[in-house]
Amino acid sequence: MAMNWLSALARGAEIPVFAVVGAQGLAPVEGLRHRPGLRLVDSPRHARVLLVAGAVDGAHKTALERLHAQIPTPRGTVWWQAAPLFARGQGVAGDDPLPAIRAAAGADDPDQRPDVPPHPWQGMGPHGQGGRGMMGGNPYGRPMAMTADDIRDGLALDVYNARFGPFLPMLPPGLVLDLTLQGDVIVSVSVVSPPFEQGMQGDAPDLCAARMLRLMGIAPRAARARGALLALPKGSGTRRRLAAWLRGQTVTERPSPLPEALPGLEWAEAVLWLASFLPSHLRAACMPRQAA
Amino acid sequence: MIAATLILLLALPPLVWVAAMFDRIGAGRGTVVMGPLQNGAALVLRPNTETEAPDRLNRLLAPGWYLALALVGLSVVPLAEDVVASEISTGLVLWGACEALTVVVVFLHGWSPNAPLPLIGAYRYVAIALPAMLLSMFVLIGAALPAQSLSVVEVVEAQREIWNVIRQPLGLPLFMALGLAITLRGPFDYADGAELAGGTSAEESGPALALWHFARAAMLVAFSAMAATAFLGGYLGPVLPGPAWLLLKTLAVMAATVAAGRFFVRMPPARMLTFLWVVLLPLSFASLALVGVEVLP
Amino acid sequence: MTDALFLALSTLAIWSGWRVFRVDSMVRASFQLMVSFIAVGLIAVLLAAPYIGIATIFMMAVEMMVMALFMVMFMMNPAGLNPMVMVHQHRFSIAAGIIAFAGLTAAVLLSDLPVQRVPEGVDVVRNLGHELLGPSMLIFETAGVTLLATMIGAVVLSAHSGRYGASDTGSLPPGLTPGGEPAGRKPENGGHHHHGGH
Repeated sequence: MAMNWLSALARGAEIPVFAVVGAQGLAPVEGLRHRPGLRLVDSPRHARVLLVAGAVDGAHKTALERLHAQIPTPRGTVWWQAAPLFARGQGVAGDDPLPAIRAAAGADDPDQRPDVPPHPWQGMGPHGQGGRGMMGGNPYGRPMAMTADDIRDGLALDVYNARFGPFLPMLPPGLVLDLTLQGDVIVSVSVVSPPFEQGMQGDAPDLCAARMLRLMGIAPRAARARGALLALPKGSGTRRRLAAWLRGQTVTERPSPLPEALPGLEWAEAVLWLASFLPSHLRAACMPRQAA
Repeated sequence: MIAATLILLLALPPLVWVAAMFDRIGAGRGTVVMGPLQNGAALVLRPNTETEAPDRLNRLLAPGWYLALALVGLSVVPLAEDVVASEISTGLVLWGACEALTVVVVFLHGWSPNAPLPLIGAYRYVAIALPAMLLSMFVLIGAALPAQSLSVVEVVEAQREIWNVIRQPLGLPLFMALGLAITLRGPFDYADGAELAGGTSAEESGPALALWHFARAAMLVAFSAMAATAFLGGYLGPVLPGPAWLLLKTLAVMAATVAAGRFFVRMPPARMLTFLWVVLLPLSFASLALVGVEVLP
Repeated sequence: MTDALFLALSTLAIWSGWRVFRVDSMVRASFQLMVSFIAVGLIAVLLAAPYIGIATIFMMAVEMMVMALFMVMFMMNPAGLNPMVMVHQHRFSIAAGIIAFAGLTAAVLLSDLPVQRVPEGVDVVRNLGHELLGPSMLIFETAGVTLLATMIGAVVLSAHSGRYGASDTGSLPPGLTPGGEPAGRKPENGGHHHHGGH
């Protein structure tokens, strides 16, 4: 009874969609953001439908399968102008994925990956911990934090190594980074794979500004944007580049290689730094490392 | 006392609904009235997610604690003359304890799923929310000074002649900073922000996430009622009955908080920390000192 | 009613105090301790000391939060992975525990505890304020200012921005003559990387 009543109410809800942005997908996904009837969410856990917009490299198939598994069941998948990497959901070739998303909101994809832990338990200490002492080690195949010098103040805190990307919504789509973090400070970086090609559309100033402002928690309206410049550290390139975009100019500055530029920045600063360059320039800056 | 508690429990869900409507207006989305209910229902029908090796107990309890803290905080607000759910002589301190425990609960919410982005959100939030809470304490002591009492009832009665918002103009805007921090909104949303893909709630779904959103909105209601009481004279006002005035003022503060959350930009956390310690905290000292000079006989 | 509440809260305080040493994570231990203190704070409220009771809850929430934060910073121990043991130095701690328990028990049993009901209608919070800022003002203010000075000193010493530049680049004071030796005392055996013995 109560369930029926809830389901009836839920029928009018917006469909939470997690968008995986592939090649040339940035601008079309941005266009979806204000469509009524759906809501783009930041985490696959919050989503009902997985939308793959634009071609995703076959090298990221496993990552995409894991993402699919992270969407709580029942889930649906839509491949929008993208060749399916696995046999779930349906494809859309046209400009409007909304009907397909509506259909997927009623679908129930079976699991693509078996729901088992990827690594067995590997505790080795006397109490089941990972290392011999209380820290470090590799329990469950996860490298555990271990103290190391902080690059900013020399205080020996725990470092955390992990791979971030390629579909994290705050990073440029396709970019995969191996990061060493101390708290939210980035200690070292290596680029595993570069961002996807986004073409001319992805470099449009208003689109770039909107992406950056969203990371700062506001919508892109001129009056609000003025305060946005003050929020960024003075003299930082991020402030200069956001100002250029807000004036409608194209940013011509090119990023220095990520492994040199990112260490020492906090997570939020690093994310804003990455968002403050044209996607095409960022891709170019990551490419030679990839080839080497 | 029991009547006041019942009124609060009955009034909270509709007020949470109104808070969600304000949020939709702020975000510029349609279906303002039914949208929150429909989305909430859809979310409740989704399953909870499991993470690997979580702290199950704290993960389960954190949203509930958050809601409970909002209720306890709300309980010190007098609804009309001599009508208050928790009649204690140290209501302002109890509210402060709710603020402090809110920081703990948000931290546990981020720590317990055992995942990197929620954990980063959790400790970033602690670093920002603790000074924001300090700030609110100075501001609330300022509100208590004219009343010469820590009791919220007395704080309202001391505003019969002139509201605190006029006597201490810095108080309300500074207190709003705390409101944004404990309701995880806009410029102070270091816990659940977009740059962490949802931060402490990035791993949540289903009823747990719905309850978390509900508790956030309930905390907004509690904060708005407290701000309306400490600075806008609470239930005081001409013609209309007391509770109606309290409701109107609460809604006004709520709308202003939602608007501030949409208007102001979230700085990188290090910059916000400097801003808090170097600008906002000294401002709150100044505000307190001014109030002290004012109330000297 | 009050007795039942008192018993329930003391049981909670003791149980969570015991759990502090039995859980397998620093964060859990910190918050178990916080629960224990909250129970003690509520007992203080029952004892007609509302300010002290609620202020205890308030302060302990902040303190345990900071402690848990530092625990995560220094020993990142995620929620369910990498269990830790909360007890070490077994012999010493058993001895210390027994002595402390015996001492406190003796203090409770042997001292002549006052039995004074708080009369109805006494403004306890106001009286506490008069006591703290009256006869006890000197000790209260001394302790307060000492703590504040300690905190500011700790922040200054650990801050990256030293008085004469960033600490990791030396932060040397300028010479007394142009281009001369840096003024001030020279650090012994070269440095700031001297780790304390704990």
